[in-house]
Amino acid sequence: MTDSQNHKQKKKEIIITGFGGQGIILAGIILGKAAAIGEHRESTLVQSYGPESRGGSCSAQVVISDEMIHYPYVNHPDILVCMSQSGYDKLIKQMKENGTLIIDQNLVHPARGLKCDFFSIPATSMAEELGRVMIANIIMLGFLTAVTEIISMDAAQKSVTESVPKGTEKLNTKAFKKGHDYGLATLKGRQKKAAGQAGAIS
Amino acid sequence: MDEFKIILFLCNWGPHTAFQTLQDNGSEIPDEVSMIRIPCTGRISKSLLFKAFEMGADGVVLAGCKPGTCRYGSGTATARENTEDTRDIIGLLGLGKERLRHVTFLPDESDLLLQFLNDFCNQIRSLGPSPMAPIRIPESEVISRESVAEIVSYHDAFACQDCGKCSSACPLALIGKPFSPRELVNSIIAGDMDSPSVNKDVWSCLTCGLCYDRCPSAVNFPEFMRDIRHVIRKNGGNAHEAHGGFFQSLMRAMTSPGLKTERWDWLPQDAEVDSKSKILFFGGCTPYFDIFFRNHLGVETLNILKDSLRLLNFFDIKPALLQDERCCGHDLLWSGDQENFLKLAAINVDSIHNLGIDEVITACPECYRTLAHDYPKHGIKLNFKVTHIYELLENEISKGAIDFKKIDKKITFQDSCRLNWLESPADLPRKLIRRLKPSSFREMQNNGSSAICCGNCAWTGCDAFSKALQVKRLRQAHATESDLLVTACPKCQIHLRCAMEDPFLGEELKMEMIDLTGIIAKTIYWE
Repeated sequence: MTDSQNHKQKKKEIIITGFGGQGIILAGIILGKAAAIGEHRESTLVQSYGPESRGGSCSAQVVISDEMIHYPYVNHPDILVCMSQSGYDKLIKQMKENGTLIIDQNLVHPARGLKCDFFSIPATSMAEELGRVMIANIIMLGFLTAVTEIISMDAAQKSVTESVPKGTEKLNTKAFKKGHDYGLATLKGRQKKAAGQAGAIS
Repeated sequence: MDEFKIILFLCNWGPHTAFQTLQDNGSEIPDEVSMIRIPCTGRISKSLLFKAFEMGADGVVLAGCKPGTCRYGSGTATARENTEDTRDIIGLLGLGKERLRHVTFLPDESDLLLQFLNDFCNQIRSLGPSPMAPIRIPESEVISRESVAEIVSYHDAFACQDCGKCSSACPLALIGKPFSPRELVNSIIAGDMDSPSVNKDVWSCLTCGLCYDRCPSAVNFPEFMRDIRHVIRKNGGNAHEAHGGFFQSLMRAMTSPGLKTERWDWLPQDAEVDSKSKILFFGGCTPYFDIFFRNHLGVETLNILKDSLRLLNFFDIKPALLQDERCCGHDLLWSGDQENFLKLAAINVDSIHNLGIDEVITACPECYRTLAHDYPKHGIKLNFKVTHIYELLENEISKGAIDFKKIDKKITFQDSCRLNWLESPADLPRKLIRRLKPSSFREMQNNGSSAICCGNCAWTGCDAFSKALQVKRLRQAHATESDLLVTACPKCQIHLRCAMEDPFLGEELKMEMIDLTGIIAKTIYWE
């Protein structure tokens, strides 16, 4: 394995995109914090913070690496998390080949035949079930943690409780857990399908 | 010699003549054989065959006429079926099939009869005494005013305001039975325990709990009935047991500590279980039901257990099984036999504790209620959590990545009384049903908190009104224009199927039935 490949594996570039107000930036902050504070790695965050944050599309660019990060902007993400259709339309072309695409299936309808690792979760409707649409970002974060394992569950969960507004820790932890469970179930489902045991009666 | 007891039910016609020849000739009939002369082997029901074992027999023989020589035509065939069913049941029970035999003789076959009796006695001797402890029949106690008064005050039945909301909700009263919970409470408070109507009506109550739900004074009528039944039974009162009391006998038999039950014999090859697991699957009595009803109703309640195990495996749970599992005791408790209920409870809880189990999962609403609520209420401490499988399924499915195949059926749902009146699992079946993808789901006229019982509970007090109730319920199901009735309790399957076998109304009432676990197991898949 060459040095550059090695380097690539240790460095992950992520873009989280959605509408302003969904908590996209907060999700980016939590993700970066979990890596930097929880796991003592390097991380950066660049946020698009223009007029967009009043309802237009908005995005958080996060880099997580084991080595010093020289350039914080993400042009070609390894992992693209989409919580809005416009964000998806704008950024899908920039995603790395064989990258991981994660969408909120309530809000994004992806094109068919994408060549990438693809995960989807109904984060918004799950958040509605829990009583607050606002926590869809935390559900998404739990899901991201489970399916990509870029950060550990403990670090992410700790980072969530430290970053959300006081008094909402319990709800947010619940949301995170829910997203995480959904991620684990998705992975398990893939495994079962690959083993040819998709149903209960064989 | 006489420590062994062998009961020989002997038909009056053919074999009795052979037996008499033996007696006339002074042949040596083994001492342990006690002969009971009966008019026809076809009239010896499964419950009578089993009763002999319950009362301490080590072996039982049903000797009738050769096929074709039955005085009444169908006696021999019936006797053969009854014996086969009972043999399979005592096999599951761990008593050993060999202890029960059905044989036929012609009147002149006295030598063959003697030879058979000698062989059978030798066989029983080599098997040893029955592992079942004979049931002690307690001396009947006089019903004391105090004991009744204690129950009345415990359930605060005095709070009855005589408003009649119970009677206007009671499914039995609504179907036309002269039965009124309010009147029953009043008679009992008045100390009228000996009246024939009280003695009879007490056993009719379905204990479904609709009256308790409607009672403004919150008198728990079903539990009040349960405790009154206990007092009446202690007094030697007739418990109006259905099926000749077979199931009560079966449950009492399971209180013998020496029995090694074999109730997991049917376990499918692909079912994954792990004896070291901290999660236990408590099956319940459905294997017995399927054998008992196989010639009449053809119920397949065992599928509930198979599908539940499949669903647990589907979610990667490999449960332990209680090899020595006994009945939970629900039906004994609700038909007035508290002593034996407590014995069963103690044996079950002890064996579960010995396995070091953290969580018990069950698919039977009666087992669930009994384990989770009635054991602790009767002073039996549990070191484990009891979960109904619906709870577990809802929990696992809500984690996501699960979908259901479409089913080309219009479905409706029969509530289970025992789940309906417990707080947490009551709405679970509907939550699960809403996840399914049938062509339609329509509720019956009476559903949820006004759902109607399947007609009987605890195998007691079954009569024409039970049938009328089943007919009403099935007509409601047909009125939804559904073609698949989803149930949540094995007993509902048995009782509703009974009405479908009615010679006059059967065709009109027939409807496909499936347990909720079955329909989930058939359609669930990983997305």
